[in-house]
Amino acid sequence: MSHSKRSNIFLLDAERTTWHDETLWFVRQKRDKAVYATPEFQELRQLASDIKDHTLSRLDFYLQQFEENARRNGVQVHWAADAHEHNQIVLGLLKRHGATRVVKSKSMLTEECHLNPYLIKHGVDVVDTDLGERIIQLRDEAPSHVVLPAIHLKKEDVGDTFHLHLGTEKGNNDPQQLTETARQHLREKFLVSEVAISGVNFAVAETGSVVVCTNEGNADLGVNLAKVHIACMGMEKLIPRLSDLSVFTRILTRSATGQPITTYTSHFSKPAEGKEMHVVIVDNGRTKQLGRPDFRNSLKCIRCGACMNTCPVYRRSGGHSYDFTIPGPIGAILSPNIDMRKHASLPFASTLCGSCTDVCPVKIDIHTQLYKWRQVLGQEGEIPASKKWSMRLLSRVLSKPAVYGLGGKVARQGLRFLPHGLTHGKGYNPWAIARELPEPPKQSFREWYAQQAVK
Amino acid sequence: MSSSREKILAAVRTNQPVELPLPTVPSFEGDDSVEKFTSIVQGIGGTVVEVADATRLPEVIHQLFPADYRIASPLLPEANVPVTAQTPIEVLAAVDLAVLQGEFGVAENGSIWVPEANMLHRALPMITQHLALVLDRRNLVATMHQAYARIPSVGGYGTFLAGPSKTADIEQSLVIGAHGARSMVVLLV
Repeated sequence: MSHSKRSNIFLLDAERTTWHDETLWFVRQKRDKAVYATPEFQELRQLASDIKDHTLSRLDFYLQQFEENARRNGVQVHWAADAHEHNQIVLGLLKRHGATRVVKSKSMLTEECHLNPYLIKHGVDVVDTDLGERIIQLRDEAPSHVVLPAIHLKKEDVGDTFHLHLGTEKGNNDPQQLTETARQHLREKFLVSEVAISGVNFAVAETGSVVVCTNEGNADLGVNLAKVHIACMGMEKLIPRLSDLSVFTRILTRSATGQPITTYTSHFSKPAEGKEMHVVIVDNGRTKQLGRPDFRNSLKCIRCGACMNTCPVYRRSGGHSYDFTIPGPIGAILSPNIDMRKHASLPFASTLCGSCTDVCPVKIDIHTQLYKWRQVLGQEGEIPASKKWSMRLLSRVLSKPAVYGLGGKVARQGLRFLPHGLTHGKGYNPWAIARELPEPPKQSFREWYAQQAVK
Repeated sequence: MSSSREKILAAVRTNQPVELPLPTVPSFEGDDSVEKFTSIVQGIGGTVVEVADATRLPEVIHQLFPADYRIASPLLPEANVPVTAQTPIEVLAAVDLAVLQGEFGVAENGSIWVPEANMLHRALPMITQHLALVLDRRNLVATMHQAYARIPSVGGYGTFLAGPSKTADIEQSLVIGAHGARSMVVLLV
């Protein structure tokens, strides 16, 4: 199903769409406030972009440096070429420890690899411990945002979900009380889990450490109580030096939620005494993206979600309409790399206004890449027939001034007496579905201009 | 060595662009005052209590927290829950208050660096119901650049801790006390 068809489902509830739009815009405004209060923010963006550019240009070196240092620290490093291998490695580690209970902190990579269904299929009780992730896990949904996974839900939805699964009173929609219920429920899970899985926000090559940022402390609680910590990371998470973290920790949360920093910014270098730590480095299409000069930049993404919060299309269509792990503008660049045919409509889910590029803390040229994907998709014949033929027709008309002039004249006259039902037919004028056509002007600009020239 | 490792590294070598320079990160100075630090900590849901004299620490703790709290701390003689890296989970889960030493604070974001050596157990700062971090007021830096300059090595585990555990996952309503500490107080000596 295309993005626009999925959006139509979301748009059926106009009130909720407006609420979704306003909620995300509120987060975008918090971002602005935090950014304006940081005098060197633009310099930090450039530094972050340059550090990532450098890292990607020497990725083979940094991957090996990271591996070597992590091993020296007593961390076991694994490599996974694709999602399936990643899942196999994780399951293998669980089996080796006879572990059936696992707590997981937020990780878009494990979402990308569909780790949860894989583990559940193999008899593992895997519990997401980030509150938003837990809510959508109970509802059997996917996250709709990378930082705010349950942003599409209202407190009534969460109240109903908790009533059904956690036994809260029906109609109790108080966020404070619901969070307290989740705290008690998840604490039980934390205390008995043999293995904890975390994502990775940054991996530092020079020290062999991984850095995990959370506000809830769920990653730390899970990992520090379990006997085994498995950190799953996309290979693009690498940065060269510990000091580079100063740049990234300053831009990440300010861009994401407008906070000065996450509550917990934790550095894991060595397993605790008597315990195990594993890092799984995952490719899953990233090396392919590295080889595409036009789209390579997307590997710099630090998953702050700023592009989603600012995107007028994302805010009014919801994360699920993208049908991809990473939604929004950045997801629309990343997804065709994985499956061009399936995600062919996503690069068109943008107004190309460039707001995503403006807020991106690592200066990814998001809207330019969206435009480039459209060219690629056009050449590959992945554009819907209606769009393809109307574009072809339009390009013919626009290339012949006489035809264009005549067409304008016919339209100006025709619109006056054609019945509304004909000019606004949903079948052939999608533009008019939610809009009125403008009043046709008496003359065209060219006619008006010709008159001015005479005077 | 797995074959995937070789395959991935080979693909990286084939596909990575020509080398680009690694920039030098400037030190970006800023306001490292107690006032700035305090206002940011309050903004992120924590509290700052200025303690005139380090010897008065037990007295201040006593005023802030009721006497029957189960306290874990390497800093207070009245700590009544002994915690080490080997302490069983059930004992950890029953701690009401942890009083730990913070190494230094960062004024721009209100975070405090707490290395493993200061934690007794890696999970203690998160599993405790309430957390108090003792911080020397002379150990404040302005930005994260000076912060990382102070820690050439992060050791086995360490965290920048900024306020109590919180979430806004339910309709963007801020709730303090998600999984970790329900409150965080900085005791500035």
